[in-house]
Amino acid sequence: MSANVAQSHGPALSEESAVTRFFRATEIDTRLLGMIVALLIIWIGFDVYSGILRPADGLFGGSFLTPRNLWILLVQTSSIAVMTTGMVLVIVMRQIDLSVGSILGFVAVVIGTAQVFWMPALGFPVGHPLIWIVTLLLGIAIGASIGAFQGALVAYAGIPSFIVTLGGLIGWRGAAWAVIRGETVAPMDKNFKLMGGSFSGTTSGAIGDVASWVLGLAACALIILGLINNRRQRDRFKFPQRPMWAEYFLGATGCVVALGTTLLVNSYPWPKGVVDRYAAANGITLPPEGLFISHGYALPVLIALAVGALMTFMATRTRFGRYVYATGGNPEAAELAGINTKKLTVMIFALMGSLAAISASISTARLDSATNSLGTFDELYVIAAAVIGGTSLAGGLGTIYGAMLGALVMQSLQSGMTLLNFESAYKDMVVACVLVFAVFVDQVYRRRVK
Amino acid sequence: MKRNILTLMAGALLLGMSSMSAMAAGKTIAVSWKTFQEERWKTDEAAIKAVVEAAGNKYISTDAQGSAAKQLTDIEGLVSQKVDVILVVAFDSSAILPAFQTAADAGVKMISYDVLVEHPDALYVTFDNVGVGRLMAKTMLEKGKAEGDFAFIKGDKGDPNATFLFEGIMEVLKPNMDAGKIKNVCETFTDGWKPDGAQKNMEQCLTSVNNKVDAVISENDGMAGGVVAALEAQGLAGTVPVTGQDGDHAALNRVALGTQLVSVWKDSRVLGKSAAEFANMIADGKALTELPGVGKFSGGQKGVEVNAVLIPPNPITKDKLNEVIDGGWVTKEKVCAGVPAGSVPACG
Repeated sequence: MSANVAQSHGPALSEESAVTRFFRATEIDTRLLGMIVALLIIWIGFDVYSGILRPADGLFGGSFLTPRNLWILLVQTSSIAVMTTGMVLVIVMRQIDLSVGSILGFVAVVIGTAQVFWMPALGFPVGHPLIWIVTLLLGIAIGASIGAFQGALVAYAGIPSFIVTLGGLIGWRGAAWAVIRGETVAPMDKNFKLMGGSFSGTTSGAIGDVASWVLGLAACALIILGLINNRRQRDRFKFPQRPMWAEYFLGATGCVVALGTTLLVNSYPWPKGVVDRYAAANGITLPPEGLFISHGYALPVLIALAVGALMTFMATRTRFGRYVYATGGNPEAAELAGINTKKLTVMIFALMGSLAAISASISTARLDSATNSLGTFDELYVIAAAVIGGTSLAGGLGTIYGAMLGALVMQSLQSGMTLLNFESAYKDMVVACVLVFAVFVDQVYRRRVK
Repeated sequence: MKRNILTLMAGALLLGMSSMSAMAAGKTIAVSWKTFQEERWKTDEAAIKAVVEAAGNKYISTDAQGSAAKQLTDIEGLVSQKVDVILVVAFDSSAILPAFQTAADAGVKMISYDVLVEHPDALYVTFDNVGVGRLMAKTMLEKGKAEGDFAFIKGDKGDPNATFLFEGIMEVLKPNMDAGKIKNVCETFTDGWKPDGAQKNMEQCLTSVNNKVDAVISENDGMAGGVVAALEAQGLAGTVPVTGQDGDHAALNRVALGTQLVSVWKDSRVLGKSAAEFANMIADGKALTELPGVGKFSGGQKGVEVNAVLIPPNPITKDKLNEVIDGGWVTKEKVCAGVPAGSVPACG
C-alpha cells in the first residue's frame, strides 16, 4: 500500500538505533522484510534437510535451492499468485470471494471444451492460430461476467458476499460438471499450451536466455528510473528526501534481485529428451557433452508478474485504487464522500472473476487438459496467501506484493515437503500452522507499531 | 488368492453366458437405485433392462433419491408387489439390512449391485476393485517395465479405494521389489485425486531423483494426465510408462499416443449385463451357489460371508483400443486425435 512508502516523518529521535535509522532512511516495509527472511529460512531449511537425505547440487547440498526446483516453484505459484492480487482488493473492501476456485474450474472447462469441440465445429481446425486468443478472451469475458453478477448481488441485492460466493463455490463447480458432463477435455491447443510454461513439441513455454536478460536489464533500468523520478517528485512537492546512500542501496538491491532471478531462470537448461528432439527436428548434430539451452522466464511467471505490476499500479496510482482502500477503511465515510461504493463492489468482483479466468488459463495450459476438479480448494489457498501476506480481514489494509510473496511462501512449503516425501496429512497440518502463526505475528507487529 | 481364481472363472464364464439365460419368462426383476441423478447409472440401467426384457421378463425400478429411509420403503414396496428378484444399489449398506431381511423372509431374492450389503442370503455382484490394482501392476510388468525406479502416485488419503488399489499393486510388484529389481523412489497421496495435484507431486518427484524414474503407477486416469504433463516438461513423456484406470476419453487418447501405457476400464455395461443375467437365472430358481463364476466373499466391514461374483475389469492398452471403440464407449475420432497414421492398429 502506498501508505507504507510515503510515511510522513516526525523529527528523528536521538536514541534511535542504527537498524531503525536504516529502515527509516530506506523506507523499507519491515513486514515485507520479515516475510522475505521467513521465505529464505524455509528455502535454506529445505535445501539442507533434503541434502541430508539425498545429497544433490543445491546451494547447501540439497535439491531445493537448485535452478530447476526454483524455476518449477515459480511456475507452480503463478496461478494462485494471479488470483491473490485480486483477493487482496476484495478483502480490503471488507468483502470475501469464496468462489474463485469454482469459477476457475468452470472457466477452465469452458476454455477446454471451446478449444477441443466448439472452435473446430465453427470452422477453426485444431491448431488454428486464432484458437488460443479467442478462447482466452472468451474465458476472461465469462470470468468477468460471473464476477460482476456476484458483485451485483452483493452490492445491489444486499446479500452478504460470504453467502453469494459460498453459493458460487458450490454452484460453479456444478456448472463446470454440466458443461461436458464431467469429462476430462484434452489436449489443449498447441499455442495455448505455452501459457503453462511447458513444451509444446519443441517450442518452449519460456522465453529463452536472450529475452530474459533483456527483461532483467529492463527491470533494473525501470527500478533506477523509478527512484530518480520519485526523487524529482519529492523535490517538486518539498517532501523529505531519502539520503543518497539509501537511494543507491535500494537501486543496487533491486538490480541484484532482478538480474539474479534472470541468472537463475537462465541456469535451468532444457531437459535432455527435448534437446534431442529439437536437435533431430532442426538437423543439429549434438556435441558429446550435450547442448545447453536455457529456459529463461516461464510465460506463466511473466503473466503473474505483469498482473502483479498492473494491479499494484491500479491499487496505488489510480482513483479506482484509492476508492477501494478508502471504502475498505471506512465504508460509510467513503459513501458520504461521494464514492459510488456499489459500483465499486461490482467492479472489484468482476476484476476478481477475470483474474480467476487468467488463472484458469494458466492451470489448463499447464496440465494440458481441462477437468472439472481444477481449482478445488484454490479459494482457501488464495485467501491464505493474501492473509499471510499481511492483508487484514478487517478491511482497509493489504498489499499486492505482500500477497504474492505469501503465495510463494505457501507453495514453497508444499513443494518442499513433497520433495522430502512428507505424508500429505502432515503437509496439511504444517501449512495450517504457518497460516495461523503468520497472522499471529502480524497482529503482534501491528500492535507494537501502534 | 481365492478371489484371484474367482475372477478368472467369472471372466471365462461371462463369455458363454448370454446364450444360457433365455429360458424363463414372465418373471419380474426390480432394481432399487440409490440415486438416479448420476449419469453412470443410466448406462447400467440400459444394460440391465435389455437383458431382462430379452429373456421375456418384466423390468421395474425405484429411485431412492439419495435417502436411506426412502430406499427402505422402496424395497418393502417391491416385496409386497411380489417381484421375483431385486437388485439393490444401496445408499447406506448398513441401514438397508432390515429391508434385505424382510425380502429374505418373504422369499424374494436379493442382489447387491456394485455396493456390498452384508446379508448372507444376497448375491454380491461388482467389479474386482483390488483386481484393478493388480491389473495395473501386471500390465506394467508385462508391457511396460519389469524393473527400475518406480514412482507411485496414489489417490486421496481419505478414500479407502486408494489403499485397496495400492494393496493390489504391491501384491503383484512385491516379488520384483524383494529381489531388488524394482525400487520405490517416490510414493505420495494426492488430495482429492486432483490431476493438478498429481502434476505437482510428479514434478517434485522428478526433481528429487533428478529424472531417474523408469515407470509411474498412477491410480487413476485423471492423475495420469497430470503425471504425463510433468513428464512432458522433462521430455520424458512416451518413454516412461504410466498406468491409470476409468477409461477416461482423454486417457484413451494418451494410450493411443503412447504417453500412457494402460487405462484399466470398468465397463458398467458389462457389470449391468452380468447382474441382469444372474437375476434371470435366480428368478428361474437357480440357487446362488450354482451360478457360474460364483465364490465366497468376506472382505466387508463386518466380515459376513456372502456369495459373490467379481467381474474382472479390462486393461485397455494400445493393442486393445478397438474394444472401447467397437463397444461404443468412445468415438474413434476422440481416441485417435493427433495419432500418426499407421502407428496404432485401432486408428488405422
